[in-house]
Formats: sequence, structure tokens, C-alpha cells
Amino acid sequence: MEEKLLTISQAAEYLGVSLNTLRRWDESRKLVAIKKDGGTHRYYREKDLEIFSSDLMKFASGWMQDGVEFPGTFYCATSSIFNARLTKMEYVLMQKPGFEKLYSLIVLIAGEIGDNSFAHNLGKWPDTAGIFFGYDMEKRIIVLADRGLGILVTLRRALPDLPSHVKAVEVAFTEFISGRAPEKRGNGLKLVREVVTDQLIDLFYTSGDAEVRMQGTDKTFRVTRGQRIVRGCLAKIEF
Amino acid sequence: MKLQLEKFGKTLISRELGSEAFKAFQTTLREISADEELEIDFSGVLTLSPSWADEFLSPLLNKLDDKLILLPSDNLSVHATLRILQEANKRSFKIK
Repeated sequence: MEEKLLTISQAAEYLGVSLNTLRRWDESRKLVAIKKDGGTHRYYREKDLEIFSSDLMKFASGWMQDGVEFPGTFYCATSSIFNARLTKMEYVLMQKPGFEKLYSLIVLIAGEIGDNSFAHNLGKWPDTAGIFFGYDMEKRIIVLADRGLGILVTLRRALPDLPSHVKAVEVAFTEFISGRAPEKRGNGLKLVREVVTDQLIDLFYTSGDAEVRMQGTDKTFRVTRGQRIVRGCLAKIEF
Repeated sequence: MKLQLEKFGKTLISRELGSEAFKAFQTTLREISADEELEIDFSGVLTLSPSWADEFLSPLLNKLDDKLILLPSDNLSVHATLRILQEANKRSFKIK
């Protein structure tokens, strides 16, 4: 049986991007369209769109680093949109066998990281407001990213002497910060660290040139200096 | 008095919404007499985060002290969140 093809309008709706974006992606060969019998109309296989939209880390890091467009279904412009999408993810996750109890800790981790982006960048976003929030429950992966100020800049409001991205991320994940700080700081990342340490959940987190990798059997918390400096924050949660 | 926390939502995540919930609860809070206990019932709550809880439960603990009673819950996020709040505030919740 011949596979059903989607028109460019249907594909645009599927991915949440404009027709022009799809035409541009076709010309740059980022997402190549099918043209029937040498015609000019663009068509797409649903399977190809599914594969294309599954590379969450590529979209998130491309957007963070270079402002590269990504499917709009992953974009949360405001914290209320993020909350609504997080609730939807929670519902899907709690139906998953083996996650009947664990779901709440995974939602807590994603919720804290996503909410941090909004809480610390409100009214101060350098360019695009909002976050990337994508998940694939089959592959058991959640990716969150923002193009905000990053941990060092936001934490320096409370602790002006912080010397580096590495130190800032270390403080954010390990220390309770005084309530006298000019903005309220949560204890969310401290709890994220504890939960990831105790559970079969992996975390990759980066802000500036600081990186945290708590993966597999080595859950020792340490912040290292990476090769590149990224805008804002990016987190990958695997479970 | 018993408060069903799920009246504020089943997924209690953001600091902003925790603060809104605390403001909304003020009128009820004023009706509680000085010697009355306030019991917090977590049943129905799917996820509770430390940011939300820090805006709601931490100020309640400061205000009511040992008149604030938390009812037991088997939800993992409730357990984890209460643990970190106790550590951050350097004081314990009274759990029934």
C-alpha cells in the first residue's frame, strides 16, 4: 500500500512552523520534501516528520546556540503554557507501566528546571522569551532549554562575587541561599540533584561553560568546564 | 480545619502559582482561631514541587508553627519536597 503523503500545509501544522520555514528547510536540505513526478508541490511522509521532530537535543541546542528555528509544538512562550504542557506530560507518564509512583519525581524535576527559566528571566529575556520543552515518552527523554541570562548572571544578583559559570552552577545545585537576596531563590535544583542521585534518572545540565553530568552508575555530583559557552540553560533528563 | 491542597490544583509546580495560592488562602486563614489546628491533606495532588511549596507551606509554618499539621501522603514528590523545605527552613513540619 502506498504511504499517505501530507501536503506542505498539513506538514506545517504537524510541526508547528510556517510554510516559508518548510520551503527554506527544503532548499537548505534540512528537511527535504518529496516532489511527485517532477512537479513543484512539496509533500512529506508522516514517518519522516515524526523522525525529524524526535531529535530533541539537536533542536534545543541549535536554538540556544544559534537561534535556529524548531517545531513550534516544543515552544512554551509563557509559564502558563509550560504548566499546561507539563500537566499533559504528567498524565501520559503516570499511565506508563513502572512509572505509577515515579512519575511525580520526574515531573518535579522537569517542572523545577522549566519554572526556573521563567522565574529568573521574567522581564529580562535578552531576545526570545520562553523555553523549549520537548519530551519523548517512548525514548524516555525530556529536554528543556532557554535563551535567558544563564545561572551565573541571575545568581550574581544575590551573590555578586561569583567568579565563574562552574562555581555558579555548583552553588545553584548545592547551597541554600539567604532569604535576604534581592529575588527569591528556590531550592529546586538542590532537590533535583538529590532525586537524580537516588533514582534511576540521568541528568545533563549546562549553562555558560559549566556542565553537570549525573549519568548511569556514576551519580557523583561535579561541575566541569565544557568546550563551549552556551546561552541560557539546557537540560536533558533521561529515565 | 482541614485544607484539601488539591483545591489549588493537582500539579503544583511554579513559585508564582504558589504565591498566588497563598494570597488566595489569606481570607480563610484569618477565620482560623488562634488555638485551632490547620490540617493539610495532600490526597489528589499528583506533583508538588519545592518552589510552589516554599511559597505556600513555608509561610504557613512560620505563621501557625505547631498548629500546622501535615497529613500523611504516599506521593514521592510530596515526601521529597517536604524533606528539602525542612532542610532549607531548618525546622520540621508536624506530620500526623
